Amino acid sequence: MMRQRFHIDFIGKSKIFFCISLGIMLVSLILNVVCLPTIVDIQFTGGTIIKYNYGGEPSHKNIEKIVNETLKGIDALKNEKVDFSYSENLAASADDTTKHIVSLQFTGNKAVDISHKQAITDALQKGYPKNSFAEESSTAVDASKGANFFLKCIIAVSMAAVIMIFYVALRFRKIGGLSAGVMAVIALIHDLIIVYFVFVLFRMPLNDNFIAVVLMILGYSLNDTIVIYDRVRENRRKSGPKTTTAELVNNSLNQCFTRTICTSITTIIAIGSVLVVSLIYGISSIISFALPMMIGLISGSYSSICIAAPLWVMWKNHQDKKKAEKRKNGGKKSAKKTEKTQKADMTKKEEVSE
Amino acid sequence: MKKIGKPVFFIVFVLIAALAYTSIFGVYGENGDFDVTYIKGIKDIRWGIDINGGVEAVFAPADGIDADETQMEDIKGILDSRLVGQNITDYEVYPDYEHDRITIRFPWKSDEKDYDPDAAIAELASTSELTFRGGTEQSGEVLLTGKDVKRAYASYQQTSSSKSSMEYVVGLEFSDEGKEKFKTATSNYVGKQISIWMDDELLSAPNVNEAIDSGNAVITGNFTSKTATALANKINAGALPFKLVVESYGTISPSLGSNALQAMGIASIIALALICAFMLIMYRLPGFIAFIALVGQLSISVAAVSGYFTIFPSFTMTIPGIAGLILSIGMGVDANIITAERIKDELWTGKTLDGCIRNGTKGSFSAIFDGNVTVIIVAIILILVFGPANILSSLFGVSTTGLIYAFGYTLLVGVIANFIMGVAASRLMLRSVSGYKFLRNKRLYGGAKS
Repeated sequence: MMRQRFHIDFIGKSKIFFCISLGIMLVSLILNVVCLPTIVDIQFTGGTIIKYNYGGEPSHKNIEKIVNETLKGIDALKNEKVDFSYSENLAASADDTTKHIVSLQFTGNKAVDISHKQAITDALQKGYPKNSFAEESSTAVDASKGANFFLKCIIAVSMAAVIMIFYVALRFRKIGGLSAGVMAVIALIHDLIIVYFVFVLFRMPLNDNFIAVVLMILGYSLNDTIVIYDRVRENRRKSGPKTTTAELVNNSLNQCFTRTICTSITTIIAIGSVLVVSLIYGISSIISFALPMMIGLISGSYSSICIAAPLWVMWKNHQDKKKAEKRKNGGKKSAKKTEKTQKADMTKKEEVSE
Repeated sequence: MKKIGKPVFFIVFVLIAALAYTSIFGVYGENGDFDVTYIKGIKDIRWGIDINGGVEAVFAPADGIDADETQMEDIKGILDSRLVGQNITDYEVYPDYEHDRITIRFPWKSDEKDYDPDAAIAELASTSELTFRGGTEQSGEVLLTGKDVKRAYASYQQTSSSKSSMEYVVGLEFSDEGKEKFKTATSNYVGKQISIWMDDELLSAPNVNEAIDSGNAVITGNFTSKTATALANKINAGALPFKLVVESYGTISPSLGSNALQAMGIASIIALALICAFMLIMYRLPGFIAFIALVGQLSISVAAVSGYFTIFPSFTMTIPGIAGLILSIGMGVDANIITAERIKDELWTGKTLDGCIRNGTKGSFSAIFDGNVTVIIVAIILILVFGPANILSSLFGVSTTGLIYAFGYTLLVGVIANFIMGVAASRLMLRSVSGYKFLRNKRLYGGAKS
């Protein structure tokens, strides 16, 4: 009796998968360029931090509403996304009018004019006449994590990719590990691009959360692909040389399919719970962490099965074809040779007979 | 297969339960009027600024010094390293080149007992220049500075006076230039004293017995493990080009709101319950064991962050840190799913239960091993590149990024915990319970009706 198995022809449908992935990326890219520009956090771009101090305890939500409405009325700052943070001046006593501070963080190097700052002050004073809002300071800050940081990230990720490819090449040398490693990294890049577009499409700023999600997907995607390669390696050992690469990989994918799905489900349960609870509590910054992570996870599982594996099969087939052609060409040459020698032999024979 | 005794399951189970309980709730006691923390629990974890709020300070150069851009960049790099050296991984350092100001934000909770933000800020602002001087006066000739030190590290060695007692010291490894300087200095001062200073604090004043050309030196002076590590970190981070003064200083409210932590707590309980249900339905007995192992793995991770084991100081928990934790949970469950699937496969071929468990665990190991090792490679690279002692410092100067370091740290701990719990402990438990007669029905392992 055999266990029930999936019989999905992943390799045969690979063109559809490639089209889906490329299509999603293309549409996202167009949206990104045309109408949904990438929002980058002040940590990466630098910007301006303006602080207003006040007394009493007006609601934070209301302060944000007043500021956002004022900004909408200013042409130069209409599309700015402002981050708010609240602090307390430890030097001031509890009933001081300078006790509380709200910081407005503007990203980019757009200068915020004095008139704009004044407009915000006026609006706040009008909204809260008793809390004596006043501008405390305005600083133009440079990026906390600037271009150097990005360069470092790219070097780190490239280092990881290279070492990874070497590791896979070594451990999976029986099945041609180098190409397998390269395909795993391609699938990984696919997932990172998807994560980036999730941030763009949902209008979430690239910030610490983005780094967190990218790193997490990096690990997840690699692990997922490796487990599939492991099956391929094992099946290659078991199966005869007649099995084609496509068959081999298809069988392996189907054998791993339940595992891939179950692992995704458990991990998605973990993050989904975080997402749902933060939606209920309305904690937006955790939403901007959990949502892209969930989509990234799905992409990570998808890319292992539908991108890395078929790409690898294509590469293998391409190589086999090349080899076969070489053999064929080589074969023809030797065939000609034998013909010639045969002819020569024949003439010799004829000579002899004559 | 070597038989695993039936009681093994209960021993492992009790150990995991004890670890889980203590790492979550901690162990506290009272000593007269004082509360004593024996083991740190979840509530002792230092959470990031967004979750718990923090401190903001603005630094300016002392005495109206006009700093240039490279100096400001150096300062930022040194401050980064100092913060990570104190295990604060969630911080923001904003330089303002135009006005020569540096804004720093780092997490702190107002009722936190073992962390003093005033002291931390004072320490950040100090120049922290290490000097070797001739004689025992601060006015003595400067022989070497922290710049001549390639690496400083805390270590534990025998005291010079008696071989039986041990003490904490800070070891120094000089650069090539420093080695020469130190050799000249020690040969000039044979029979005399030289003194080692951190800013205006005298660390030690050893007698020079002979010229030293090994390129190494040791600072002694009643250190504890903690103070020795702190001093080594300080020396490694480097000295500021000038002293900083604190221009303003205040507390920041948590940007996520005070209920964020509560929400995360609820979410993790729901997640655990759902994962438990899912694993039970899909994999029955192995699923149940996988869940116990998962709890054990999580406990190790929490313990490594809270400072449960005193050798690992507590660590600031940030959103990327949580991401690392979630990834390691995913991998931990994955290891058990791969094994359980294998056992299922084997059962359908009609072999005996013991044979199936043996083949299943054996066959699944290479996949789990390779998957985990690749992730360990990623984690180690992140720690090395973004941590305090980083391998790219020759390219980028001393610059650390606590957030990514935190991710690497929780991920590495999580994956190692996975090998202990998700692989070793769960296999022990599975083989042990399969010894019970009433648990030998193949259906419990996902097999066909026998």
